[in-house]
Amino acid sequence: MSSFFIAGHEFHSRLFTGTGKYASANTMMDSLIASKSELVTLSLRRMDLKQQTDNILQPLQQHCMKLLPNTSGARTAKEAVFAAELAREALETNWVKLEIHPDPRYLMPDGMETLLAAEELIKKGFVVMPYVHADPVLCKRLEEVGCQCVMPLGSPIGSNMGLASRPFLEIIIEQSTVPVIVDAGIGAPSDAALALEIGADAVLVNTAMAVARQPAQMGKAFRLAVEAGRMAYESGLGERRVQAQATSPLTEFIGALS
Amino acid sequence: MKIMLNDAPCDFLGHTLLDLLRYLGKREQGIAIAINQQVVPKSLWASTELNEHSQVFIFESIAGG
Repeated sequence: MSSFFIAGHEFHSRLFTGTGKYASANTMMDSLIASKSELVTLSLRRMDLKQQTDNILQPLQQHCMKLLPNTSGARTAKEAVFAAELAREALETNWVKLEIHPDPRYLMPDGMETLLAAEELIKKGFVVMPYVHADPVLCKRLEEVGCQCVMPLGSPIGSNMGLASRPFLEIIIEQSTVPVIVDAGIGAPSDAALALEIGADAVLVNTAMAVARQPAQMGKAFRLAVEAGRMAYESGLGERRVQAQATSPLTEFIGALS
Repeated sequence: MKIMLNDAPCDFLGHTLLDLLRYLGKREQGIAIAINQQVVPKSLWASTELNEHSQVFIFESIAGG
């Protein structure tokens, strides 16, 4: 299976993972290690001054996982730029997963604010990975302003509805000259495999792994699915047809009985 | 020194951001600080003087998707 690059950084795994919703830091690490993910997302929040939170950075860094802070919680471009600048200091990386969703019910990304924030962050030297709708026009605009990849959604965050946006993802994949990472809604390994089969460069999975009864085993299941999906894509899938096409030669020998 | 920290009053011994962090006993890894909505780089924590008008926000990295 081939590796791929974002902003000059080589990834051998095409499975990116989130760190949210795990029952404990140990469970999270077991799952992430089994998934062989090389990039994990993190969030930022106001520090809880009353209690010390689990230090999840140390085990992630020990396993050489690249950290990708997100701007979750930002409702506008201005807030997202501020969040990215904070994250750059906190995690010592200029990479950022740009996500702006003002609506807490559906967590739909705001494309206009995302484009504005992306332009500003790129000027400030960030590697911007924007989480957006599966909107081919917006993805092209983000690529044109200098985003190093695009991260269109499969379906709403945490919904486990899979690739509801498939027809649009296929257009994005066809048109894009930067890596396409399908993010959000991937609920089963088969969803991840499908994303890779249709040519996505990678997927980002969180909820489906974190809330599994056995997160470590699910991490492995996603790893295998992503590998299988990519291998199938690289091997070349056959065309879909309405009519049957025989896999065995149709001979006349049965007719010989009459 | 009296300041506003994460929207609440805070009284601590010292003058600088680094003094504040040590007073709070918080780890320095994975955190970021803003004063009056300006991010303060880690390299300036020791030399950044606070005053009673300082609105300090401390952020920490946590799990997320």
